[in-house]
Amino acid sequence: MALLFNDIKIYQISENAISIEFAQDISEETLKIITKINQFIKQNPFSGLQSVIPAYTTLTLYFNLVELMNDAGLKGQTSIEKISGYLKSINLETKDAKKTAGKLIQIPVCYDVKFGLDLEELSSFYQLKKEEIIQLHSSAVYTVYMIGFVPGFPYLGGLSQKLMAPRKQNPRKTIPKGAVGIAGMQTGIYPLETPGGWQIIGRTPIKLFDASKAQPSLLKAGDKIKFEPISISEFERMEKKS
Amino acid sequence: MSIKIIKPGIFTTIQDLGRANFLDHAVPISGVMDKVSARIANLLVGNTEDAALLEIVDGNFEFIVQENLLIALVSGPADFKINNQETPINRPIFVPNGAVIQLINNRNGRYSYLAVAGGWDVPEVLGSKSTFVTAAFGGYHGRLLQKDDVLFSTCRLSKQNQILVEKLKGETVNYVKWSIPAIQFLSSSKSVVRVILGTEIDWFEDLAIADFFTNSYQLSQGNRMGYHLEGSKIIRKKAHQSELLSTAVVPGTIQVTGDGSLILLMADCQTTGGYPRIAKVAEVDLPICAQLKPGNAIHFEVFSLKEAEKLYLELEKDFQKLATAIQFKIEL
Repeated sequence: MALLFNDIKIYQISENAISIEFAQDISEETLKIITKINQFIKQNPFSGLQSVIPAYTTLTLYFNLVELMNDAGLKGQTSIEKISGYLKSINLETKDAKKTAGKLIQIPVCYDVKFGLDLEELSSFYQLKKEEIIQLHSSAVYTVYMIGFVPGFPYLGGLSQKLMAPRKQNPRKTIPKGAVGIAGMQTGIYPLETPGGWQIIGRTPIKLFDASKAQPSLLKAGDKIKFEPISISEFERMEKKS
Repeated sequence: MSIKIIKPGIFTTIQDLGRANFLDHAVPISGVMDKVSARIANLLVGNTEDAALLEIVDGNFEFIVQENLLIALVSGPADFKINNQETPINRPIFVPNGAVIQLINNRNGRYSYLAVAGGWDVPEVLGSKSTFVTAAFGGYHGRLLQKDDVLFSTCRLSKQNQILVEKLKGETVNYVKWSIPAIQFLSSSKSVVRVILGTEIDWFEDLAIADFFTNSYQLSQGNRMGYHLEGSKIIRKKAHQSELLSTAVVPGTIQVTGDGSLILLMADCQTTGGYPRIAKVAEVDLPICAQLKPGNAIHFEVFSLKEAEKLYLELEKDFQKLATAIQFKIEL
């Protein structure tokens, strides 16, 4: 592990992947820096760069080693030397991180008990009415910190303290595509049908992941989202459309 | 040219060298588990290395050829039959219309690769023909092959493909005398796996790290996402009991779970993970891991990133040489 600048570490996780670590803790500030540098690297890629993967405190560069090493423009005998040189040239420290406000994306969610499988149970757990849970969940603005776990799955920050809930004792074998859930201090949306232990409070009719699109994940790190309550009939109409 | 599946095997998929351009969408790399065997299979029929081929797990795979076909099966020792005749593998084979091809078993390994001249014809999804079963996209309708599926090869034959077909075609099964087994491109020891140290190596007790490098680990179970390895538990230091904030992981990463067990991530692994990483298997030795059968044991040996990189680049050069050598043999 090497220090690239004060507080910014760079280390190799594979022959073809290098991570840059910007901080130790999750924060909106770190997210802004990561988002900004992510955009910059994508617009100014080095030879062989294939993916730039943002996570809570890191940005990982995945590349084709042969193409990188064949690039005579980047100095160095090893991939980390070449990429360190490249990163120093873009001056990570002075990048202004202010103008990176992500988009605000509305996600329609039907909170009817037909889809909100655990709403009744949570209502007694929180000592809140269902309507209050829905109100709390749909009034907050959430931040997308990263996409991980399964294609298109957003890690969201911003859940109300009042909605904290433990995972289910017995995970469900299948959670339907589009299910909106809560686990600990997290809330999220399942883009695919998977097994899972989250408390399910609703379901969205829109696709979070579509492999036929050039940008398959609807959301990306840095986006802001808001859940918009819809009725069952609206859900059905929107589901047909998508 | 097409084939019809008679016995689909337990987990047969179409794969190529994977898709690495959507990791930030949490789309896994996927692609073949054993890149060395797969690349050889493609080169043997005159394809480029990244053509779509069949990845077959174990055996019990059988199909009928519906039009003349040029194939290569790359595998460890296996019972492979065409029209009930034992047939040698790791070489280009011409198969006439109506022939029945059986891969009965795979005696020492798990994954076999069946390449066809021109590559299998499936649409590209997100830049690759690899199947990702979990999200049901890529390959053959995003799923495992089933009985009665009909699979076509593309009609885009390269000059190499055509020369080989011309040379070998006839009324009966025909193949060349030479062969290229995968072991030529792998380290000589099948039980020693070289690793680079993981980012969180400092999180573990010194004694646990010593155990990791001296004791052997056995594959207990595994699939395309990851292999569970059984052996000495890896104990964390008291100061490092907290969770790791999820960050990028890649195939070859060895994670240590909460109870100290090891998971070796493989081709379909998640793009991010929250378990501390003790090591990463060198790319050049990953095919050895991929071919482990449940119960097989391995030892880890540490080596530097510099060496890992060097061997990686050398293997790439060896493949360029192999491509030229095969071309030469084909045109001879």
